[in-house]
Amino acid sequence: MNTSEPSTRGRVVAAIAAIVEIEPSRVSGEQRLREDLGMDSLGSLELLSTISEELKIDLEMEDAMGIVTVDDACAFVEGHRAEGERRASGA
Amino acid sequence: MRKASVVRAVRDAVAKRDDGDVAEALLAEVSRFVSTIDGRTADRDGRFSPHVLDGARSLGLFALTIPAEHGGLGLALPTACAVIDTLATVDRSFAIAIGLHAGLGTRGIVDLGSPSLRDRWLPRMASGECVGAFAATEAGAGSDLTAMRTVLREGPGGFVLDGEKSFVTNGGFAGLFTVLTSSPSFGGQRGHTLVCVPADSPGVEIGREEDKLGIRASSTVTVRFDGVRVPADHVLGQPGRGIEHAHGVLAWGRTLMASGCVGTARAALAVTLAYVQSRRQFGRPIGSFAASREHIAGMASRVLAMDAFVRHVAEQPPSELGALSPFAKVYCSEEAFAVCDQAVQLHGALGFLEPTGVARMLRDCRITRIFEGANDVLLVRLGAARVAAGGTSALDADGNDATEAYRAAVKRLDGALAWVRAHYGVRVVRRQTILQHLARAEMYLRAARAVSRVAATRQDAELAAFTTDDLVARAGTHIGAVTSAEAREERVARLTDALYGHDVPTHNEGLLSVSP
Repeated sequence: MNTSEPSTRGRVVAAIAAIVEIEPSRVSGEQRLREDLGMDSLGSLELLSTISEELKIDLEMEDAMGIVTVDDACAFVEGHRAEGERRASGA
Repeated sequence: MRKASVVRAVRDAVAKRDDGDVAEALLAEVSRFVSTIDGRTADRDGRFSPHVLDGARSLGLFALTIPAEHGGLGLALPTACAVIDTLATVDRSFAIAIGLHAGLGTRGIVDLGSPSLRDRWLPRMASGECVGAFAATEAGAGSDLTAMRTVLREGPGGFVLDGEKSFVTNGGFAGLFTVLTSSPSFGGQRGHTLVCVPADSPGVEIGREEDKLGIRASSTVTVRFDGVRVPADHVLGQPGRGIEHAHGVLAWGRTLMASGCVGTARAALAVTLAYVQSRRQFGRPIGSFAASREHIAGMASRVLAMDAFVRHVAEQPPSELGALSPFAKVYCSEEAFAVCDQAVQLHGALGFLEPTGVARMLRDCRITRIFEGANDVLLVRLGAARVAAGGTSALDADGNDATEAYRAAVKRLDGALAWVRAHYGVRVVRRQTILQHLARAEMYLRAARAVSRVAATRQDAELAAFTTDDLVARAGTHIGAVTSAEAREERVARLTDALYGHDVPTHNEGLLSVSP
């Protein structure tokens, strides 16, 4: 299920597509980073690093290990962004 | 003992699961056999003599790691490593040919092959009638497997393979290729699949032998696949999981290759020890000078550590072998080259001439830092894996035989890892040299630990102590370099931009996502 904003999702999908070198249109939410896209746990780390730099958010090392699918990655990043915005607004 | 009876004795010992008897029976005969090999002539001619290949077949060298039920000797990895080590003391080309067959050339079939594939091919591979080869690298896809263009697609009765593989060891005389393919139809867009392709399949074209710097007698060719039909039962493991399967195969291959490094270095040390005691300058043997002694002690220390490290890694269960074999590969390939370089140096101008033998050893060692995973790439991946896993519990600092200096170094590495994780987070994957420093520190510490484990059983305890001290010190150098590595990376980027004549973005990505 897609729970992330289109813009964030689009950027995460673009980052995944760039790392695995396929067209973004061929990346779908249910694809598994490891089995379907050929990334291992270190590849996931690389993905989060790319996202961390592009979206200017801090991501923990452990977070990379729990991400299985493209949707997981999108939801994870969206969650971090929402958390950051809440903190910035003092909520 | 005649060769046939040696093979019988080895089979009996394997059946009784008595590895000591296996090693004793086989290694004694292998030592006698290698003494008949003329490695220099093979190197000059660029091929093995028929006598060598026939001898290898009758001795069972093609059967080493193939299960007994398929006509093999069914040896465990440590014993197979001891055989490759022995072969490499005389002819590295030959050791690589046998090691490649025992590792990359047959391991996938043994571990992942269908029953029909195993029944059909393994007996012929055990007898040496059919030699195994492994085809993964392409002209445009070395460590970067995303660039792979050899494609497997569905076809009549199975699959069809198109593409071209480069640097295929044993390829010129192989009967069966294990091929890593890109398979977008299986396992998604980035799917890869391992398949076996008989060399006599229609559409397989073998290129000419490459002219190489070293291991010149070994076969290295390009293999082209043009619409080659691959039967369904020739897929190894699951379609789409080729990279994962290749990791398992490479774990064996890298360990066997590391054992060959030990053999070559051992031979370089032996010939140099004899030379420095006979060669006289300024009225005394050159081995008596402190500067020469430093080289000799360093060579002996390196050989001891390589041997201990490979033995330790080879004894690990499959679950650990994949993670440890790259350390053994990187460590032994670098140290063997260093030992051979020291051997050439101590031989003086004579070492530069081929008859001495050390020049060939140096040439033969050079490729091991490149193939089966380029060391630079493996170190980045090993460093990233350690950062991702966190902590140093795997280094067993609490073991009874760990020295105080070792424990202190592990503690320092632990601190460096914590600093890296806190300072860079996931962005550390953009800092290749930091990852390499961490990997090197871990590698030297693992080697030191392997030495201390065997030290108690050795007579040369002083050499073992010298070796562990040296390895711990080398680890410390790399731990100390972690915090300043970023500044150096950026300085080097400016320097190289000036050399390139224009600004080039520094790319760190790509090494982690798919490379085996």
